[in-house]
Amino acid sequence: MKKLDKEQGIIKKDLTGMKITLIRITFFLALFLIWYLVVAITQIPSYILPGPLDVFESFYIGFIKGNYLISIFYSMIRVLTGYFMALGIGIVTGILLARYYFLDITFGRSILSLQSIPSVAWVPLALLWFGISDNAVIFIIILEAVLPTALSTKNAMKNIPSNLIKAAQTLGSRGLHLYKNVIIKAMIPELVTGLRLSWAFAWRALIAGELFVSGAGIGQTLELGRALADMSQVIAMITTIGIIGYFTENVFFGIIEKRVRIAWGVE
Amino acid sequence: MLGGLNNCFMLEPKIKFENVVKNFKTSSGDNHILGNLSFDIFAEEFVCVLGPSGCGKSTILSLIAGLLKPSSGKVIFNSKLVERPDSSRTLVFQEYALFPWLNILDNVAFGLTTKNHGKEKPQKKAMEYLNLVGLSEYKNYPVNQVSGGMRQRVALARALAVEPEVLLLDEPFGALDQQTRENMQNELLRLWMKTKKTVIFVTHSVDEALKLADRILVIGGKPGKLLFDATVAVSRPRDLKDSHLINIRNQILDNLTHPDFFMGSDI
Repeated sequence: MKKLDKEQGIIKKDLTGMKITLIRITFFLALFLIWYLVVAITQIPSYILPGPLDVFESFYIGFIKGNYLISIFYSMIRVLTGYFMALGIGIVTGILLARYYFLDITFGRSILSLQSIPSVAWVPLALLWFGISDNAVIFIIILEAVLPTALSTKNAMKNIPSNLIKAAQTLGSRGLHLYKNVIIKAMIPELVTGLRLSWAFAWRALIAGELFVSGAGIGQTLELGRALADMSQVIAMITTIGIIGYFTENVFFGIIEKRVRIAWGVE
Repeated sequence: MLGGLNNCFMLEPKIKFENVVKNFKTSSGDNHILGNLSFDIFAEEFVCVLGPSGCGKSTILSLIAGLLKPSSGKVIFNSKLVERPDSSRTLVFQEYALFPWLNILDNVAFGLTTKNHGKEKPQKKAMEYLNLVGLSEYKNYPVNQVSGGMRQRVALARALAVEPEVLLLDEPFGALDQQTRENMQNELLRLWMKTKKTVIFVTHSVDEALKLADRILVIGGKPGKLLFDATVAVSRPRDLKDSHLINIRNQILDNLTHPDFFMGSDI
């Protein structure tokens, strides 16, 4: 086996990949075991720290009964609505900021300071304006996601090699054709990175907003867990948030980002 | 064939510079690039614009292309003032400026997808020009996977495919190794004889200019002025040891007093 490893690098790579997976599984099993033992030995009440089996049970019941899936569904609708609206507003704003210097030194500057405000800080304002409703959550998501979108659009546009635009212009491209076929296309690699960042912001804003409004949603299910002192549900929801966040941010956007970079010859 | 003869027979020049001045505004005041430049270029002429770095050679091309406007004076093309870039005057850059998100064929077809060429089938015509530069079998390659020489062929095909009247080349072979550069020079001469475009070729190499041009406009000084207008009435292919060429070479060098002029002994 050892000899084969040396001769065929690919097989060796596969084995290491498998080994890594094995190590990971062992690690997490050990973690669960420690968690289980700590809870079992110290007899911590389950409303403070439930054991892993309680959390699994909560997951199982939650998904079978269907209310977790419904929560996820409604949350996804909110976050996607807010996110896509933020993309529309953010991309147009970014293009305007890149085109008009006056806007950049005035409005562009205030965007930078707005970006340092955490999404939770907008909740009271959103509740007063929109009441306890979906619109309040969507408003917070838009506020959070629009800023990184606008900034990355602006930078992506400013970083377009000027020769590409000049070449296109002398080939007869102008107006809509130039925007559609050159400017937007040239912006895409940097824009995708920006969109990934905006998604991360939108996702965090969604959870923050949902904690404060009623109706189905991941944030509300989490908050309900707190109200009922059902710590298993709280942990199950936190885990769900983490898993969905990881798969959208790192797996989904990661793949898109990599593909775009290869197609554009950035890598 | 020869520019000097064309002058006698044709009334209107293809391109006319009338007292052209170009200044760029910078934070430390005006940067004077071109000072009172006047010359005529006639149809089907192969003109080399020769001068040291920073003398405004590239600015001359941008003015002809319509990418820049003169600070004063007139740039006239076909008896009309140049207003903006269009596909009658295409530009080829040293760094190729190909669109990395398009394959080779789609790069060549780019100009044909604009309004002016909407009726024809872009791909079919692009294929003709890709054939012309000998790259038809690479049509599906991404542009970043072929050599510098091949990229410049693609850029040439792209610039020719829209059937411009004037081909502008900004130190097009400056980034290529010597062997490739010589091949590309021969290739360009072949294309020029076949397509009969008016060619304006910017270079800082005296030998490259002597090898290619019907006429050499020597630009120098700060702001750039026309120092010398040499007609090269020697048939091609040329031997740089030809006594007539050596004579012109000496005249050009006599006219260049600029201290950091690059002698162009790299051909």
